[in-house]
This record gives sequence, structure tokens and C-alpha cells, in this order.
Amino acid sequence: MSSRKTQILAIDAGGTMTDTFIIDDHGEFVVGKAQTTPGDESVGLLYSAEDALSLWDMKVEDAFPQLLTGVYSGTAMLNRLVSRKGRKVGLIVNRGMEDFHRMGRSIQSYLGYSYSDRLHINTHRYDPPLVPREWTRGVTERVDLFGNVVIPLYEQEVAPAVRELVDAGVEAIVISFLHSYKNPIHERRARDIVQETLDTLESDIPIFASVDYYPVRKETPRTNTTIIEAYAADPSRRTLELVNERVKEKGANFDIRVMASHGGTISIKANELARTLVSGPIGGVVGGRYLGQALGLKNIVCSDIGGTSFDIALINQGDFSIDTSPDMARLVLSLPLVAMDSVGAGTGSFVRVDPYTKSIVLGPDSAGYRVGVCYPDGGLDTITVSDCHVVLGLINPDNFLGGQVKLDRQRAYDAVKEQLATPLGMSVEAASFGVIELLEAQLRNYLESLVMGKGYSPTQFSCFSYGGGGPLHTAGYVKGLGFEDVLVPAWAAGFSAFGCGAADFEYRYDKTLDINVGYQATENVRDDAAEALQGAWNELTEKVRDEFDKNGFASSAVQLRLNFRMQYQGQLNDLEIESPLTVLNGATDWDKLADTFEDVYARVYARAARSPELGYTVTGAIVRGSVEIPKPKIPEEPYESETPNSAAFQGQRKVYWDGEFLMADIWEMEALKAGNRVRAFAVIESPATTFVIPPGFEAVLDTHRIFHLRQVSEGR
Amino acid sequence: MAMQSSDVNLKQEELLNQQYRQSIGWNGKTLKEMREETDRLTAQSGYYAGLRELEFKQSEPIRYEKIFSKLRGGLVHARETAKRVAASPIVEQEGELCFTLYTPEGDSIVTSTGIIIHVGTMGSAIKYMVNHNYEDNPGIEPGDIFCNNDCHIGNVHPCDVHTIVPIFWAGEVIGWVGGVTHVIDTGATGPGSMTVGPVTRYDDGYQIACRKIGHDDLLFQDWVIESQRSVRTTKYWLLDERTRIAGCHMIRDLVLGVIAEEGVDTYKHFSREVIEEGRRGLINRIKAMTIPGRYRQVGFVDVPYRHEDVEVPPYAKVDTIMHAPSEIVIDRSGKMSLDFDGSSRWGWHSYNATPVAFTSGIWVMMTQTLIPNDRINDGAYYATQFNLPYGSWMNPDDIRTAHSYAWHFLVTGWSPLWRGLSRAYFARGYLEEVNSGNANTSNWLQGGGYNQYDEMHAVNSFEAAAEGTGASAVKDGLDNAAAIWNPEGDMGDMEIWEYAEPLLYLGRNSKPNTGGFGKYRGGNGYETLRMVWGAKDWTMFFMGNGYVSSDCGMMGGYPAATGYRFEAHNTDLAERFAKQLPFPRGGDPRPAEKVYEKDLKADVKRDKQAITTEAIFENYDLYLNYLRGGPGFGDPLERRPQDVEKDLNGNYLLPEFALKVYGVVFQQEKNGHYRVDVEQTAAKRLEMRRERLQRGRPTHEWMREERGRILKDQASTQVRHMYATSFELSGRFLQEFRSFWDLPEDWNLYEKDLDMPTFGSHHRAMNSNKLV
Repeated sequence: MSSRKTQILAIDAGGTMTDTFIIDDHGEFVVGKAQTTPGDESVGLLYSAEDALSLWDMKVEDAFPQLLTGVYSGTAMLNRLVSRKGRKVGLIVNRGMEDFHRMGRSIQSYLGYSYSDRLHINTHRYDPPLVPREWTRGVTERVDLFGNVVIPLYEQEVAPAVRELVDAGVEAIVISFLHSYKNPIHERRARDIVQETLDTLESDIPIFASVDYYPVRKETPRTNTTIIEAYAADPSRRTLELVNERVKEKGANFDIRVMASHGGTISIKANELARTLVSGPIGGVVGGRYLGQALGLKNIVCSDIGGTSFDIALINQGDFSIDTSPDMARLVLSLPLVAMDSVGAGTGSFVRVDPYTKSIVLGPDSAGYRVGVCYPDGGLDTITVSDCHVVLGLINPDNFLGGQVKLDRQRAYDAVKEQLATPLGMSVEAASFGVIELLEAQLRNYLESLVMGKGYSPTQFSCFSYGGGGPLHTAGYVKGLGFEDVLVPAWAAGFSAFGCGAADFEYRYDKTLDINVGYQATENVRDDAAEALQGAWNELTEKVRDEFDKNGFASSAVQLRLNFRMQYQGQLNDLEIESPLTVLNGATDWDKLADTFEDVYARVYARAARSPELGYTVTGAIVRGSVEIPKPKIPEEPYESETPNSAAFQGQRKVYWDGEFLMADIWEMEALKAGNRVRAFAVIESPATTFVIPPGFEAVLDTHRIFHLRQVSEGR
Repeated sequence: MAMQSSDVNLKQEELLNQQYRQSIGWNGKTLKEMREETDRLTAQSGYYAGLRELEFKQSEPIRYEKIFSKLRGGLVHARETAKRVAASPIVEQEGELCFTLYTPEGDSIVTSTGIIIHVGTMGSAIKYMVNHNYEDNPGIEPGDIFCNNDCHIGNVHPCDVHTIVPIFWAGEVIGWVGGVTHVIDTGATGPGSMTVGPVTRYDDGYQIACRKIGHDDLLFQDWVIESQRSVRTTKYWLLDERTRIAGCHMIRDLVLGVIAEEGVDTYKHFSREVIEEGRRGLINRIKAMTIPGRYRQVGFVDVPYRHEDVEVPPYAKVDTIMHAPSEIVIDRSGKMSLDFDGSSRWGWHSYNATPVAFTSGIWVMMTQTLIPNDRINDGAYYATQFNLPYGSWMNPDDIRTAHSYAWHFLVTGWSPLWRGLSRAYFARGYLEEVNSGNANTSNWLQGGGYNQYDEMHAVNSFEAAAEGTGASAVKDGLDNAAAIWNPEGDMGDMEIWEYAEPLLYLGRNSKPNTGGFGKYRGGNGYETLRMVWGAKDWTMFFMGNGYVSSDCGMMGGYPAATGYRFEAHNTDLAERFAKQLPFPRGGDPRPAEKVYEKDLKADVKRDKQAITTEAIFENYDLYLNYLRGGPGFGDPLERRPQDVEKDLNGNYLLPEFALKVYGVVFQQEKNGHYRVDVEQTAAKRLEMRRERLQRGRPTHEWMREERGRILKDQASTQVRHMYATSFELSGRFLQEFRSFWDLPEDWNLYEKDLDMPTFGSHHRAMNSNKLV
């Protein structure tokens, strides 16, 4: 039996395969795969864990009791949503607006589309609504935007609506009235009448009032999210319980936590489970923040290239930012989601020449697991970025995914020639190199505009590069941007899973507010404003503490962070800002919040855009609470030497680079030691990733198994 | 030879003079000289700026693409960032803003997403400044800021306000960047950005004619003061302007960065080549998608100004119809020309358009169907020939014209082009690309007064950005989805509109029967019922088509339903709420049955007068905002009965029309569900086809009868007025009309013979000089 100390279990249960990542105390990890077992995912999970541990010659029974913690992320909920296989949900809305859910928002007819298809009207389409019109009922009432009751709740309309829905066979009831986030009195009263009616009908179907879940402005995202809670999230809770039970049976001493959209993990008992709908890509950002804390880096650009997309996110002053109205599965939602920019450009992106303009077009669609024409079993005809890698010699066709997948260079060469080189009148190598150059230039532009667009300069940031395809292009997309440092963890391919394991146990609750303070407002007005915001924070703090209470954490163990959202009066976009104060006492504290806002605003939108003469509005209060939990250790190795050990050297390979064939040194990533300096032109290979050190660059491996990529000259 | 002191003096003076006189164009030229040179080279060679070869692109395709993607990505990003500064939901929610990069002489190179009609309008404003020697006076210097919204110089309507900033490199203007936003109020006769009521330029609101409004990146104080005092919604104006300036400055930095990286000569060359590439791109696309030939079509829309609820000067009290016949000619080389000969005259209303609005706006549509990509620039303009008759509504010969809602005519004039192109796609086999046209993008809910926050305010609901779309030849149009001027349409959340407008929602529903019937039906429209709430001194009005369908359906498909208005004053709603009585909630699916009025005591206006000027609204008054559907495709008798069943069960179709139009026999089950009887339907359809054959007559017979009606002046006054203005402008069209109907050589129609004011019809000669 191996003497490895297993630390963290990260589970990624996809629609077809369940991956388990088990990380040891050196940061090394194994990946296991098994088929997902819908219905009871815990079965597939254990097979997958067995598969992983077999690489370390360990058994589940040996490894699980050593584990410090485990995090689950899965796509079961998302699949249930996308394939429209959720519960039969009944919906009660304002009478007169029974159509609004099925009408959606028009934006949902082109969400997730490429720029070209967004323009191209005949490609637009609506997905079927989560709740069909026939299971929707209206009840008369109206509350205005200030929370005033304009039309009383016509209580007598509720019970008949419930009876009809129950007759129709619905399995849950969602209630969403306009402006209920502002004044919940009607929605709560309706909820209680629904409950009474269900009791008389001896029905135990659950009720979901939007105000009890997502009390934020904009009825479409709020209603969508509440419906998802009833439709897909709540029905998934049993699955999570089974996973938790099974892991504990095998000796684990912790409760499984679930990765949530706000970048923290939450308990499977959490009230708002819909926020665990998405988790995959944010793991890397969470991992970036954690690694940054360990290394003392506060400002980080996280960049992740996989087969299909390039995802980037900023960590500023040690924290990432949150998007409060994201979209997912072509629905607008009101979940807090770690803010990321994603572009459809990855190693699997298709490469085409536009027949009309003779321009190279990359993506936005991609080959996914089918790699490219170079993978004969993939059955593809259209070339991809990976084909160009193979043509150039950057990827070893015999060592792709550790040799598990054999690639055919000649196939790639012929296809690139026919589809790209000949139409452009270039050599096959030059055209392939051009594709890589163009891709990297586009990625560099995205990266630069993300940083500059937020009012920063890359020189203030370190860049983390990870994902299976990241290190192939790191040098290309950071070239000339002047990042303070560029870091490539040796475990780049498993970094997202590492990140899930490193996530805090954290709840985040948001509340919509409308606190208006005019230009040069009186002290009384500012006093009242401070009091109103403090009141909202107190309310949310209670909610956060209640959640931790379910898992037995005392309120004293909960660390709180208070945020607020502010804008100039009348604007439609706010900024989320961490409060510099933990308690607000009166007008002077209010002024400190306003000053903080002014600073942030000037940085994001240029000084000329500041408009204090309009006065301020606080649009939201946010409370984040977390408790201490075990995290993966960052690897720590002794310094060896600057010169790599010859055992790591795998010989040389001919690689085409910028107009000529060069001999590149090939290194085995796992065999490199702390302190080793790898000079250009070099390719560092590991089974899951390939790291290119092009002319003008060098990489040094530090004692944490992180490469630091440096530009040493202008290169070529 | 010894130098005399006078020589020295002379030299210094010359030097100073040279510095002062130094031109800011390339290689010592003035911008005007550059403009003339580019036009000359283009006209002589047929290629933009004489570029017969795309040397840069051919020799360094990767570098070329890198520059393009950097500029294009930067423009899109600047738009996304800058729009967050705005307060106006029109800009922030609906995305009615756009940034474009230009050459020094005003040709567009790259544009962002958004209302790309302004690719051309801002270019036109730049050309105006170039041609009027702005570099001498008022001077063009680094850090200057210019503003324009004058339609006759270069704009669609005054609410689209341009901010234009020159970009300098080493003393030369390397280009311009322009930003435009659709502002919410322009200080016109009525509130709202596209107000109804202006009949001349002098009613259209605040007009800024290519004015220098700032220097050293700062706005002049007199400009800020004056502009703030000229419009109703000052906060929106202020933040919109900051949005435009922020975006322009981001893009200026981007361009300077590209030049620093690539070199100024490369940039200059690129900026020329990319336009020629755009020209070729359009031609290649036309070659690939269409078949050469002549495609003819026509559009009409109503101008019902004689009604008492349209308060305009007496000379504007005319009921008439806009006429927009069009002919697309695609030649063998893929060149396209668009001829609008026969269009009716401009008029005393606010629906006139300028040529640049017309030619530039074409691309807003073309990018939704013919060229859905990011390569739109002035190259497309250079690839197309236009004939816009001088004196027509799209090329007025009088500076007095009003334009605040030019889109009323533009939408109607352009929509037929979709049918023309769709016939070409159909012929070529691209059935998926067929689109039978567009909804009339109305109603426009507009108004103003003091709002729920006690601030002076104007409203302009952009729920109109989500109309039903036209059917294709393989599927139905989409319900409540988009607008001809914005494929990325959205109706927004009700809670956000209630934030922006003192109008409480009492309904938001899909509206049955509003999409045109057909084998594939047009997308349905929707309607929202609003109750005035929290307003003071409040007015509102209606703007949309009422009597005329502005698009007609294709290959047997029906047009979409027309509009109507519903407004209710002095209602008993307060009492009904207190007593928990029924009241109008939700939709108005059968306007003729007046369902709202059954649960309401009020002074109701319900009629086809879908255009009105300001009316006073008190709290508890009602306003129905009905957004239109799209036209249908193909014979309704070919629609699958199952699809009709879905329409019935989804309440997209009123049951009686299932039988009457679709020939579908159905039953309603106990639970309310409709079930179609396929066999009986087949029999019914057979019977309907027989009836059709019996009803049919030879065309020549029908034409003979119609001809008789023409000769007896039996057409309605509005129709005769429309044709009279068309005939007056075009002898060619008149002659064609005569020969088509076999009318006598001296047959004609004259405005003076109609019982209508004729202002504007006689005294145009004094304005016959080209206006720009």
C-alpha cells in the first residue's frame, strides 16, 4: 500500500462520466473515471474513486478515512434543466401576467450565441418554458416599486388556483409576484393560503415563494431561479444525500459540500440549492484566489484554456467579483456567479476560411473530445487549433493524454493544406503557425481589455495560466502585456478540481435595496441611509447564521464580510464594494462608503465619468459568512538546482516556429525539480498538458511546483 | 552671399505661417483634399481609394487579421464598458448605442455592435466638417470633442446624438471615432425621443449642427449649460454624453496603441484596405446567396393626421399614405442597386428620412440576413448603388422637414426588401434564410411630466424592441422577439420599466392573431396594459400603424394585424380595488368585443387612430401598449393541423380563425383543450380550395374592372393623395403606372383636386439647392 496522505476529494459528476480527483499533501493528484449512475450517483462515484486510487495502489477504505474534506460538483441538475426533465411545477403569478414566463425575455432567444448568430435573426429560437402556460395561474394583487400596496391581494382567488394546479398533477408550486422583494406581504400571504389549501387537499407538494429564495429585483431572473429551485435543484437534494451517506460509510469524517456559483461551497442542506447549478469553470478562479493567498499575491488574472473556451477572471485585492444577473442554460437568472469572461476559443476550436472574405475564422464552435482531424476516430473533417499544434510539432502525436489517444500527423497536415494553406496561398506550417498566432493575439486582446476595462494595468497583476490547453499558449497570450509574474502550476490540468477542494465553506445572501441619498444631503438623510443599510446587513447575517446552524456551527465561528452595491442615482448599473467598516454608525460612516464608491468608480469608468452631483443609491446589501475548514496543502519541495537533471531530458524534436524549423528540447514535467531553469526553445510535457517555452522566454520551477514564465528578450 | 536681416525676418514669418497653416491631413494635405482624392480614386477605378489589390491582406494575412480583431474587439468592449455609465434604459437595457472608427475623411473602418445605422450617419457628419473646412475654423485639434444630431447633416432623427472625437498621431488626423446614443428626450414639442407632433424641423427639438463642444478632453461649460437647459431629461442627457465620451476615449487609446505596435504606415494602409475588403465581401455574399435579376416590391403605411386627437397646424392636417416601391437589381458581377423611384413626397409630419439615414440604415437589416458578420463598414456602401428620388420622403428637398420618428417610414420602406431578398434565397434553395418581413415596430408608448420621484421626466418604452418576427420558409416567426432595427431585441423586465415609468402593469400577454397567418405563421405580438401611477401633470400619446398593414406576408402568407388604440380616462379603478371587484387585467384578445369595458366605468377611446399627440393622463387612467406581430409565409391551408392545434391550445390563435383561415376542424374537450380532426380538416380544405377556384377570375378581367375604378376616381382620397405626390416627383413612375393599367396618355392625379391642404407642394423650387 502506498504511503500517500490523501487530503481532498473533489467529485465532478458529468452527464456521462463521473471524474474524481484525489489530491495528496504534495498537491499531486490522481483522476479516476467511471460511468455516471443516474438515480444514485454515489455508485458511480465509488467506482470512479476506486479507479483513481488504483493509480496510487490504494483502496477507498484506506484513502477515505484520511481525507480532510470533500467537495461535489455535478451536472445532473443542469442536465435535468437543459433536457427539461424536471418536476411538474405549477406557477402562481400576478393575474394578467400569466404569459410572462413563457414569453421569457427575448434575450433568451439568442443567449449563448456567437456574434454572427446574434445578428442572424433566422437562427434565433426559444427553448420550451420550464412551466407551460397551462400550469400557470394568476392571482390579483399589485405592489408598486416602493413597496406600496396598490391593489389588495384578492385572497379568494388563491385556493381555486391551487386546486386546479393540484388536479393537473403538479409536483411543486412556485409563487412570484411583482416587487415582492420590496414588500413580501402579498406573496407570503398567498404562500400561506396555498399551504392551507394543500393541507385540506392532503397534498404534501412543496411551495417555493420567490421572496423566500431570491428576493432581488427583475421578475424574469427571479422567477426563473425560483422555478429552477423547484424544478431541478430540490429534486437533486436526495442525490446529494446519497453521495454523502455513501462517502461516510467508506470512512469519511466530514459532510460533503457542494460547489456553488458564488465561489464558496455550501451544505447539501442549504435553502438555495439552485446556486449549485454551475460549478465547473469557477473552480479554477477559486483555486487561483487560494493559491494567491498562499503565495502572497493579491492581484491575479486567472486564465483557463480548455478544448472549447478561454475563461478569464480577475482577482483584485484578494477577491474575485460577482455577477448578480448571469445567464445559464439560456435563461436569465438572479444567482450570484463568480464573474468570468468566456470566449469560444480553445484548443479544439474549428479553423475555417470565410468563403466570402477569405479571412481566417476561429470557432466559435469546437471539436470537444474529438480533438480534430488528427484524431481519426473522432470522425471530423474540419480542422481545429489542435491540428495546427500537431502540424507544428508542438504536440507529440504519440504522447497525447499520455499516449492514450494516438494522433495522425499526416491526416492533420493534409487537411490543413487543403482547408487553410492553399486557400490563403501559404505553406502548411506558416498557415498553422498563423492560426496559433492569431488565436494568441485574440486571447491577448481579451485579456488586456478585461484588465484595462476594469481600470487596471497588467503590470499590477500576476497571471495564472491553467487548464489542459493553457500552458501551450501561455507565452503567446501574455507576450508584451507586462504582467508582474506569470505562473503555471505543474498541476494545471487539474487546477479546477484543486480549486473546488480549496473553496471556502461560505454562504452569501443578497437583498435588493433602494436607499437614495441626494447630492450634499443633510446629516439626517445620511444617518437614515446608514441605518437602513445596517438593518439589511443584520437581516442577512441572521440568514447566514441560520444556514451554518444546520451544520452545527456556532454563530461565533462564522466570519462575516459585508458588501454593498452602489450607483449614482438613476443609473442602471451598480458596483459591488466590500464595506471598509463592519458596523455603520451615522452620517460620517455613510460618507466613508460614498468615498470608497467614488474611488472604485473612477478606476472602472475613468474619472470624467464620475457624477456625484446626481447623488447616490445603494441598491443592495450582501453578507458573506464562512467557517474554517481544511484546505489542500500547497506542495513544498526542497530547492535542488538551476540545471535540470538529465533524467528529465527527453531529447529533441523538430518544431516549426515563426518561419523555420527549430530543434526544441523536450522535458518531462514530473521529473523537473525545484529551482530548475528551462530555457527556450523547449516543450515540457506531462500526460495532461504541454507547456511551451518559445524563443525569448524561460521558465523556472519554484519550490511549490509552480513554473514562473519570464520574457527574457523581445523574442521573435 | 550675405544674408540680410529682412531675409531672416521673412523666413521666421514664413515658418510661423507654415506652422499655422500646416494641414492636418496625411502628407501635408487638408482633410478636404483627402476626401476629394479618395472619391476621385474610387470613382475612377471602381475600387475603394483605387485599391485594386489587397496587398497587405494577401502578403500578411495573419497580421492583417490580428489588427482587425484587435480593433473590432476593442470597439465592442468599449461599448460594453461605456454603456454601464448610462442611466437610460434605452441605452443600458436595449443597447441603443454604437461606436465606429473612421478614416480622416469620414469613411467607416470598423464598428461595434449596436445601432449600426450610425456607421453612415456619423461618417456623414465628419464629411460635413471636412467639407466645411472645420480644420480652419473652428479648428480641429487633439482633445477636441464635436457633437451632431442634425438630420440634414447626417442623422436619422434628432434623438440619436453623436459625439465625435478626432484621433491625432504626430500632428496628423489619423482618424475619428464616433459614439451615438439614442437619448430619451430632445426638447421637442412633445416629450419622448420620437415624439408625435413635430411637423417641421423647428418642432423637432434641440438641433446641434456639427458643433465643437469641448477641448482638451473637457466639455465647454457654455455647452453643458445650454444643453442641460434645452432638454427635459437632463440627468439622462448628462450620463448619455459621458457614456459616449468614455467610449470614444477608450477607442482613441486603442487606436493609438495599435499604431504604436504596428506603425503608422501599416495602420494607414490597413484602414484603406479593410474598406475595400468590406466592399468585396458584400459582393461575394450576394453572389453566393442570390440569383441575378430584378426584384420588385412595395410598402405602404398610414399618416392619419386629420383626426381631432392629432394636434398639428392646419397645413399638416392631412390623411395620407406613405408609398415606397422598390426595385433590387442584382447584376452578373454581384453588384446590387436599389431604386426607390415612385416614392411619395416628404410631408408635414415627423416621418421623413434623409438619404444617409436611408442608405446607412439598410445595413442594419442586411446584417440580420445577407451579411451577418462583423465586417460591416463603408465598403458595403461603396458596393451598392442607390436611387432615392429627390423630393421624396427619403430625400427631402426642403430643410424644414421633421424627422423625430423617421422609422415609421423607414421600417415600412425597408421591410419589402426582405421579401425581395427572400425570393432570391428561395430561388437559390436557401429556404432557412427566407424571412417574410417585419412587424411594424410599434406601438411607441411615450409621454412625460412629473414622474413617481417628483422629477421632470420623459418616457419612451422600448418594449417595442420585441415584436413578432416574420415567418421563414421552414418555420414560424418568433413571438415577441426582435425589431427590424435590432435583432438582439428584448422587452425588458416589468419591474425595470416600472422603475423608469410611472405606469403600473396590469397585464403583459402574448396577443393572439397578431402574427400573419400562413403555412408558417408570423411571430405574434404582445400587449401590456398600464395604469398611470404616481405621476403629475402627465401626458402620453400613441405612435404606430392603425389603418394600414405595413408589411404584407409572402407567397400566400397573411400580413400581420394592424394596430389600434385603447385609452381610458376618469376610471373607477380606485373604487374597484377597494371593493376587490373585477377590473381590466391582462390582454385584450378580441378588440371588437370590448372586454375591458365590461369591468370598467370610464371615458374610453378605442379606435383605429393609432397615432395621437399629447393627451392628459391622470393616475388610475389606462393605456394599452400593443406591440405588433410579424408577417406569415405560404398558404394557410398548407399549415400542419397539429400546429394549428398547438396555436389554439397556446392561445396564439382565436378559434374561429382556425376554421375560417386554416380550414381546420376541431373540437374543444371538457378540460378546455382543443383537438383537431385531421380527416375532417382534409375534407374542409378540399372544399375551400374548390371555393377559391370558383371565386377566381382571369387577371385581365379583374384589371379591367380596377382600371374603370381608377378612371372614375373611386380610390379613396388618401390613396389618390399618395399617388399624386409620387407622380409629381417621377414622370417615369407615372408613365409606368399608365402603361400598367392601360390609362390614357394624359391621365394624371393632382393634389389640388383633392380636398386637402397643399403646403409644400408648390414652393420647393426655392429650396432646390442640395441641402448638404
